[in-house]
Amino acid sequence: MTIDGEQVHAALGNFGSGARLEVSEEQVGLLRYARSRITAQHNENRLRVRVRLERDGKVAVGTLETLATDAVRAMAERLGEALWALPTRPVGARGGTAHPGPAVVPEVSEVTRKADAAERFAWFDTIRKGLGDDTGLGGSIRHEVVDRVVADDTGLFRHETLTKASLQAIADRDGRSASVKVLHRDAARIDVDGIAGRLLAELAPIPQRERFHGTCRVLLRPQATGTLLATYGYTTLGAAGFAQDRTAVAGRLGSPVASGLVSVKDDGTDPDGLPSGFDVEGSPRLSTPLITDGMLAGVVSNLEHAGVTGGVSTGHGVPFGWRFGADPSPSHLFMAAGAASEEELLAGVGNGLLVSRLDYLRVLHPKDTLVTGTTRDATYWVADGKIVAWHPPVRFTFRMDEALNAILAVGAERERGEQTFMESVTAPAVLVDAGPFSL
Amino acid sequence: MRDIAEAVLGLLPSAVTYGDVRVLHRTHELVLAEHDGPGDLAHEESTGLGLRVVVDGQWGFAATHRLDRAGLAEVVGRALAQARAVGAGPGIDMGEPVTTQTRWRSPMVVDPFTVPVSKKLDLLAAAVREAETAGPLVQKVEASMDFFRDDKVFANTEGALIEQTLTESGAGLVVFASDGNDIQRRSYPQAVPRTIRGQRGDFATAGYEHVESLGLVEEAARVGSEAVALLSAPPCPEETTTLIVSGSNMALLLHECAGHPMEADRALGSEVSLAGGTYASPERRGSFRYGSPIVNVFADATLPGALGSFGYDDEGVPAQRTELITDGVFVDYLSGRESAAALGQQSSGAARADGWQRLPLVRMTNLCLVPGDSSLAEMIAGTDRGVFVDMTKSVSIDDMRLNFRLGTEVGYEIRDGKLGRLLKNCTYTGVTPRFWADCDALGGQDEWQVHGIPSCNKGEPLQVAHIGHGTVPARFRNVRVGTK
Repeated sequence: MTIDGEQVHAALGNFGSGARLEVSEEQVGLLRYARSRITAQHNENRLRVRVRLERDGKVAVGTLETLATDAVRAMAERLGEALWALPTRPVGARGGTAHPGPAVVPEVSEVTRKADAAERFAWFDTIRKGLGDDTGLGGSIRHEVVDRVVADDTGLFRHETLTKASLQAIADRDGRSASVKVLHRDAARIDVDGIAGRLLAELAPIPQRERFHGTCRVLLRPQATGTLLATYGYTTLGAAGFAQDRTAVAGRLGSPVASGLVSVKDDGTDPDGLPSGFDVEGSPRLSTPLITDGMLAGVVSNLEHAGVTGGVSTGHGVPFGWRFGADPSPSHLFMAAGAASEEELLAGVGNGLLVSRLDYLRVLHPKDTLVTGTTRDATYWVADGKIVAWHPPVRFTFRMDEALNAILAVGAERERGEQTFMESVTAPAVLVDAGPFSL
Repeated sequence: MRDIAEAVLGLLPSAVTYGDVRVLHRTHELVLAEHDGPGDLAHEESTGLGLRVVVDGQWGFAATHRLDRAGLAEVVGRALAQARAVGAGPGIDMGEPVTTQTRWRSPMVVDPFTVPVSKKLDLLAAAVREAETAGPLVQKVEASMDFFRDDKVFANTEGALIEQTLTESGAGLVVFASDGNDIQRRSYPQAVPRTIRGQRGDFATAGYEHVESLGLVEEAARVGSEAVALLSAPPCPEETTTLIVSGSNMALLLHECAGHPMEADRALGSEVSLAGGTYASPERRGSFRYGSPIVNVFADATLPGALGSFGYDDEGVPAQRTELITDGVFVDYLSGRESAAALGQQSSGAARADGWQRLPLVRMTNLCLVPGDSSLAEMIAGTDRGVFVDMTKSVSIDDMRLNFRLGTEVGYEIRDGKLGRLLKNCTYTGVTPRFWADCDALGGQDEWQVHGIPSCNKGEPLQVAHIGHGTVPARFRNVRVGTK
């Protein structure tokens, strides 16, 4: 651990009663490239100290980038003054407790930890050479190590080290593009050598067809399914929205909300995602069934809204001031794989669209799960179960619940992805019946 | 901070053909009051430096929070190692050297960090109380203020040394209403397309006087009432009709259709991994028809008090005005030094970084629509049938910045030159040049207003920029509107 535990305890002492600290030391290395050239490199070393002071139901939060005593004392004084100014919150606002058990300890990858600019360049160069001179390469390669501690004045002290390697490669040729996104806690588990081949296979020299108008079956590849699932989870599967009747699934526990082929869980302990042991409140991340065989099985919670989940937080508290709101939110979503092979999924499409990636998916009406977004990179037309043509990018405006209810088949292979509002989302390809998507 | 910047440059070896360092201390305060809680307060302090170097024609960048002697040596080592790790490059052309030595401080009347928290909370609590007067269907009210101060030093190996202090202030209010079946929201004075906590409302490069000028308390009851009224309003009809957008809604429309596409780094392909490309390719400069001849757009980082104003950008280039669209034709880009040099021109002073730990990117400053000679009242009076929309609720646009859909908080039908029924869930869609080609009226100078938006996302790692948009209401013909 790079964070000094004694400094953390000393800081807690200086902040006094009601203090909770989240301390993270982040080391990030990034290589960006476009048109097969390096466009930027980034290397960042940062210590972040978030303190939450709660006294008499009043809350003040501070962020600083040091555990030095003088700075901590100055922040403690400032927050103390703020608490004095705040009115009193009614006692009993907290809805539950953290699970008392241990948190999962994610595996730390020494390969990721040691990866440097030369390693990132080697990855880039491998893919660039694999694509050849007639194919452009854009994207980024990132390695990061985050050491984090959550501790409070009641004796809570949790620590974990999270490593992550991610690679995005977008290949373009003749105005057509295809993309691959891979990420893993262990950089050694990323198959860099295979990426150029995957991209070249996507850039197949097949005809371009005109835009289809109407509705048809749509095959969402895993990265597209992941974007849909993450947006749905963020919009509908949090305890606060559920309890306050703000979401599409409010009051529907045990009722059907998706096709019977759909099972979804949130699980920070599952190594098929990007595991992490605990949330910003120090609550262990619990494996939480959300949709089981199409029926709503649960939602995710934090301490304040743990009443919805039996009085125990599922470990999904979000940082104060989080850009995406204050409500508990899924962090590690998984859709269960099905049995269908890619050939079987394509055969199921018949005549329809294959979508590799959904981009800029934005919520229009949260309670209706109405969203709008576009396809990006390889979008194909499928005829008689075969990929026969490139299709122009499409804007879809659709209800996510209708799409989830119209799933006819689920692929056997899953891919790991991420969103800016979700640590990981792991999903298979899904075949959606005609109806929800209009072209 | 100046000593640190000079010390870092002093550590660079002769192999560095260009280097710049930014040392920055950022202070941020958020004060928030809620309908169902007493409010929260957050205070952030962030200090560190970011160092860019060019070695053998390749960039290296490293950032650190450690500002002691060992930390400075270490960050220099990391930046150099990064540049050297990727082999010799084709060279980096930065254009003309930047050698300015100066100090600049943004104007303000009342330092927001000296205003007592209790005074801020009183104002916000009063606004929340007023919003609650709209009745029991009000489900959630959030009123917040945010204040930022950046003290920063920029220095480079060309001789520049610039010290700047920027103070920004903003506040806003959002009301959610629910009848059990539907949820609607209204915001004031500016909406945010995502659900976020704090950092909402209208912002300016100014002091506490900006917050006091917004009239949060005075407007709160109306905002609450409109949120409740939307619950029983009919949905926006699905039709192709005449659309009139408010100045507030125009801010995001202009942002997505003209702002991001005319960032030079995007046009040069540097942003493909995350944000995508643009229709505004270099060969189209001077000939591509963006919109009708009444459409003129410029970027201006010198507008007094506007959120995208500053003295010098994060490469030391002076704030300036740049024409982007003239008589409906795309004519130029927002640019930084490297992207400008690649296009054979001078930087437009738009390289900005979100904090010390991020690289400068080409960002919007204050992107503005030149006013026309109409007015909102005239536009409505001159419309037989159409829809008027206000406040952006959601935005989605494709990776080439062409096909977009905007959702809005509120709409009104227009019948026979008059505003009619309130409409909910209004969205509209278009393809950028076709949509703007049908712009036939723009509000006049007296309706021109700068909207300060503290939430423009770009880049990897993600950066959030504070920008301004000077806009007027505008009318567009033949627009597809509806709820889907």
